[in-house]
Amino acid sequence: MSVQMIQPKPAPKLRLKGISKEFIAPRTGQRTLAVADFNLDVQPGEFICIVGPSGCGKSTVLNMIAGLEKSTSGSIEMDGKAISAPGAERGVMFQDYALFPWKSVRDNVGFGLRHGTAGAGMAKAEREDRINHFVQLVGLKGAESKYPHQLSGGMRQRVALARLLANGPDVLLMDEPLGALDAQTRLVLQVELLRIWGETGNKDDRKTVIFITHGIDEAVFLADRVVVMSSHPGRVSAVLDVDIPRPRTEEVRLDPRFAELSEEIWSLIRDEAYRAIA
Amino acid sequence: MSMNVNTRPADVMPPWAKAITLPIILVVIWQAWAMTLPETSPAPAPLKVVQSFVELTASGELVWATLQSLGRVLAGFAIALAAGLSLGVLMGSSRMVRENLDPIVESFRPIAPMAILPIAILWFGTGTPAALTIVAYAAFFPLLINTIHGVSRVDRQLIRAAQTMGISRLRIVIAVVVPAAIPSVLLGSRLAMGVAWTAIIAAELAVGAKSGGGTSGGVGQMMFVFYAYSIDLNGIVVCMIVVGVIALLIDRLFRLVERHLLPWRN
Repeated sequence: MSVQMIQPKPAPKLRLKGISKEFIAPRTGQRTLAVADFNLDVQPGEFICIVGPSGCGKSTVLNMIAGLEKSTSGSIEMDGKAISAPGAERGVMFQDYALFPWKSVRDNVGFGLRHGTAGAGMAKAEREDRINHFVQLVGLKGAESKYPHQLSGGMRQRVALARLLANGPDVLLMDEPLGALDAQTRLVLQVELLRIWGETGNKDDRKTVIFITHGIDEAVFLADRVVVMSSHPGRVSAVLDVDIPRPRTEEVRLDPRFAELSEEIWSLIRDEAYRAIA
Repeated sequence: MSMNVNTRPADVMPPWAKAITLPIILVVIWQAWAMTLPETSPAPAPLKVVQSFVELTASGELVWATLQSLGRVLAGFAIALAAGLSLGVLMGSSRMVRENLDPIVESFRPIAPMAILPIAILWFGTGTPAALTIVAYAAFFPLLINTIHGVSRVDRQLIRAAQTMGISRLRIVIAVVVPAAIPSVLLGSRLAMGVAWTAIIAAELAVGAKSGGGTSGGVGQMMFVFYAYSIDLNGIVVCMIVVGVIALLIDRLFRLVERHLLPWRN
């Protein structure tokens, strides 16, 4: 008899089972199926990127995991418990950052700690330490007292990231967070994001991430697995393992495997992309 | 060498200098014209207006009347603020409330403040309560409309962001909706204060007409007395200038408060 240990597969952090979402237009009553039969298990500490053509329902899936929208059918579970409402354990980073314009950088980062469940019962000193830590981590030292309108796009994005992390969520839901940035800033922040996520550190310390993007190279660079979606209705057309070792640096982009994976994803969405602009 | 636009002589003058140049020229012309009239003419003249201003100030009458009018404006504004804010937050946050109340609000809004004077006088007499009613009525609508606007236009995304931080509904109203609506509320306050000041002068003028003078006080009443009893045009002009200057000061004060309270808007 072999004594080989069979590694039990860890329980998924997130389990999306047969999710669908139907929108009903308020006046006409016209129904649109935005997402159909979406299935996905996400392991703890896994970095998942969802790519797909515009309007494929990527953001809808994210919003349902966040609890901001209800699925029409199917179930979403986190740690085995059904999700029905938003909660601080699932932090969201919005495409437009959604920073509070009347709050300074510091107060934006500490907003959830001050008003939300994440900071309940936390002593003021501890809260301050935490804010300092994340302000420093995302490289905002010295800009703490500025208001969002005084910051560049890249800086705002950092504030949003620090705010997301300061609440200590288990799952990070990121909706095209780098979408509005110029190409150079994007590349820099992709590397930064992996550093902050803890790529170089212990695997168990990493957060579970669902990251939505329309950038194929961005998805390959960041993800452990890439979920490719097709549209009308939005459904999973493929899930690809990105077998490029971590930590990943800029050189990864020159790796032949990087090009292969990018090409494969592109081939999956190419037809739809062309059809969309035809 | 090319001429720089910024160094043109006209732009060397500071804004305040530009603002007073034309008025000074007009006053000089006015005085010149007045000096061609006989000494007994009742027509107002700048020097006589200044003389009248000095006398009215020295006797304390003008200061007292101004304070009375301002006090009424503040009291009426406070009533309007309480009513406008609470109703505005309700109407701005609940579609149901808004759709039910909107027709009522919109049918009262075009009724000029002075048009409710007859009812106000019949109910409250010719004293301060009637004047307050008119001021509060006038100031209520700008406050209400701007509060509704501010509350209902709060960026949905900010509310969603707060929800994902595990912030309760009530706390979201306090920490997100209210601060987001403040710029609109301040704008509404500034407009409300302006119409309140306009309304109080008109109300005092009209209330004075019925009471026969002397009882209700205020700048408007003072003007009425000059008009109906002493036929003092210079006094009336003094009152008009005071009204104008105070309106300007109120406006500037509110802009200053806005800039101070909203450092995050540039």
